[in-house]
Amino acid sequence: MPDVILEVRSATKSFGGLKAVNNLSFDIYEGEILSLLGPNGSGKTTTFNIITGLYEPDSGDILMQGESIAGLDPGQIYARGISRTFQMLRLFSNMSVLENVLVGMHGRTKANVLDCMFRTPKMRREEVQSVERAREILAMFPGRFPLARHMQPAASLSYANRRRLEIARALAGEPKLLLLDEPVAGMNPAESLEVMQQIKDLRDRGYTILMIEHDMKVIMGASDRVIAMDHGVKIAEGAPLDVANDPAVVEAYLGRRGADAAS
Amino acid sequence: MAEMTARVSGFFGRMPRWVYVVIALALAIAFPLLEQFGLMQTLWLRLGTRVLVYVLLAVGLNLVLGETGLLHLGYVAFFAVGAYTTAILSSPRFGIQWNFWVIVALAMGLSMLFGFLIAVPTLRLRGDYLAIVTLAFGEITRMTLNNWETLTNGPGGIPGIYPPNIFGWTVDSPLEFFYVLLVAVVIVIYLLGNVKDSRIGRAWNALREDEIAAHHSGVRPMRAKMLAVVMSSGIAGLAGAIFAYYQQFINPTYFLFMQSTIVVCMVVLGGMGSIPGAVLGAVVLDATPEVIRQAFTTWLPGAFGRDFLPGVQSALQTDFDRYRMAIFGLVIVLMVIFRPEGLLPNKLWKREVHEEDPRELEKTHQHLFDFEEGKQDLEV
Ligand SMILES: Nc1ncnc2c1ncn2[C@@H]1O[C@H](COP(=O)(O)OP(=O)(O)O)[C@@H](O)[C@H]1O
Ligand SMILES: [Mg+2]
Repeated sequence: MPDVILEVRSATKSFGGLKAVNNLSFDIYEGEILSLLGPNGSGKTTTFNIITGLYEPDSGDILMQGESIAGLDPGQIYARGISRTFQMLRLFSNMSVLENVLVGMHGRTKANVLDCMFRTPKMRREEVQSVERAREILAMFPGRFPLARHMQPAASLSYANRRRLEIARALAGEPKLLLLDEPVAGMNPAESLEVMQQIKDLRDRGYTILMIEHDMKVIMGASDRVIAMDHGVKIAEGAPLDVANDPAVVEAYLGRRGADAAS
Repeated sequence: MAEMTARVSGFFGRMPRWVYVVIALALAIAFPLLEQFGLMQTLWLRLGTRVLVYVLLAVGLNLVLGETGLLHLGYVAFFAVGAYTTAILSSPRFGIQWNFWVIVALAMGLSMLFGFLIAVPTLRLRGDYLAIVTLAFGEITRMTLNNWETLTNGPGGIPGIYPPNIFGWTVDSPLEFFYVLLVAVVIVIYLLGNVKDSRIGRAWNALREDEIAAHHSGVRPMRAKMLAVVMSSGIAGLAGAIFAYYQQFINPTYFLFMQSTIVVCMVVLGGMGSIPGAVLGAVVLDATPEVIRQAFTTWLPGAFGRDFLPGVQSALQTDFDRYRMAIFGLVIVLMVIFRPEGLLPNKLWKREVHEEDPRELEKTHQHLFDFEEGKQDLEV
């Protein structure tokens, strides 16, 4: 069994009376694609938000490579090697494609304000390396970000390419763990297929991936393991097919009557 | 080549950037010579000098307003701190004349400290709240200057500020001040341009675009905003110091809220997040009212006879300050209608402003749900 990279231990997060995430525990193993499955409002994005520090869990703990990261802010969690994308795209729309990826490196680069003001050799070297690395990352999406597009504003990209750019920006943080919130939402089937393949390629390059998706079909092809959630609670965990056929999952998706009809 | 690729942000059209810089610089250097050779009234040289003070302020405020997206309405306070530091340390008020460099360093240092102290509690506020608090802060500063009579001499102001002595050169004519300011402008723009084109400048822009995403990329929002506010305060302090030396007399009425507004207008007029824009915004907005006054009181009567619109002539002659504001307003309204992105916008930013045009919005929305490009791509 490979090492555990991230542990979520009995995490709970409430909004008022609503327990968006309720006593949730799971592990992510190094090098796998783990998918969070569940109907809308089941607490998947909130799980991402407590892992990445946007919210602090009310109780429970989150361990990254054995160290607690609960309560750290998003910048500190980025520094621990966790990067994410957002369900509703959050690109820097009026910055260029290349700049978006470069911002993704911000927390790993070092040049201080005086280095930047006087363009010291150290700063220039770092800048050149950053640009080279950013171009490498963009090249991980073959044909999507030709050189001519690097200087275009992010807002000018097609919707699918904007989603890819968000992944590229997350990769620029050189994360050990990559969190993708509905990476193919709003894409047509051909595009979803391509992006799913690219996500599998990323796993093969050594990234560990936690992905949210509520389309069962998409999840089946791409995930190594699946966790199903409903009303903030984990209702099933295991191999994709087992989870998909789990009665609790079928019920969560189709409602009780649907489940009865299906049986 | 590597250097070029590293300069990811700035690109100003087809001509290389340095061509524009050289042209602008040549014009600026030649400008005071027109007066020297009697081709221009001193009035215009004085205007040019004042414009350069505004250029410093606009470029400084652009850092906060344009690059980082913080609506700061109390910017004039830092200008005041710089000016009063200079006036107090180099005038008969306390009978002292400190060294020019020490004063400039102190003026900038105090403004930066002041900016830092203000930033700590206010930068957590967003949007409108930040605007209101900074506005109030600007007014409090002015009222303090007005009432702290033992230090500032209150409304009476501080007259007789001694001219600066820079390495043995006594700077005391508009021409000399013009060149001193020009050097300051060039240095400030060079250094800021470098920062803008670096990870720090990109972090500022990212905060402007989406603070949450920036934070998740390792940008520390408070620190980065603080840096922008402190740097821009320092530039205002520098502008204030030179302004006080040049003006030889300052009082609190030089630091009205209106001044902050004017600088905001300059940044917006030029194009938010664009250094050349800030420069041009300052030039256009400060020079236009004067040009209009000269046109109606001198040039047009000269061409069409003395009694050309005599009412306008006398109004502009006696009540110019009031009309100056009206002209500012008119320029801004025209710009918002015809060129909302500013005169020399940051190329990338141009989109956003135009997207708010309903006709454009329609196109953008189509684009959002239009996977044409995606489909074409798939065949590549
Ligand atoms: N910031 C918030 N404030 C209040 N309620 C929230 C907030 N974020 C999420 N919720 C609520 O928590 C529940 C889970 O939401 P979310 O995690 O976004 O679900 P999912 O991503 O699975 O669709 C929903 O009922 C949602 O309305
Ligand atoms: Mg969600």
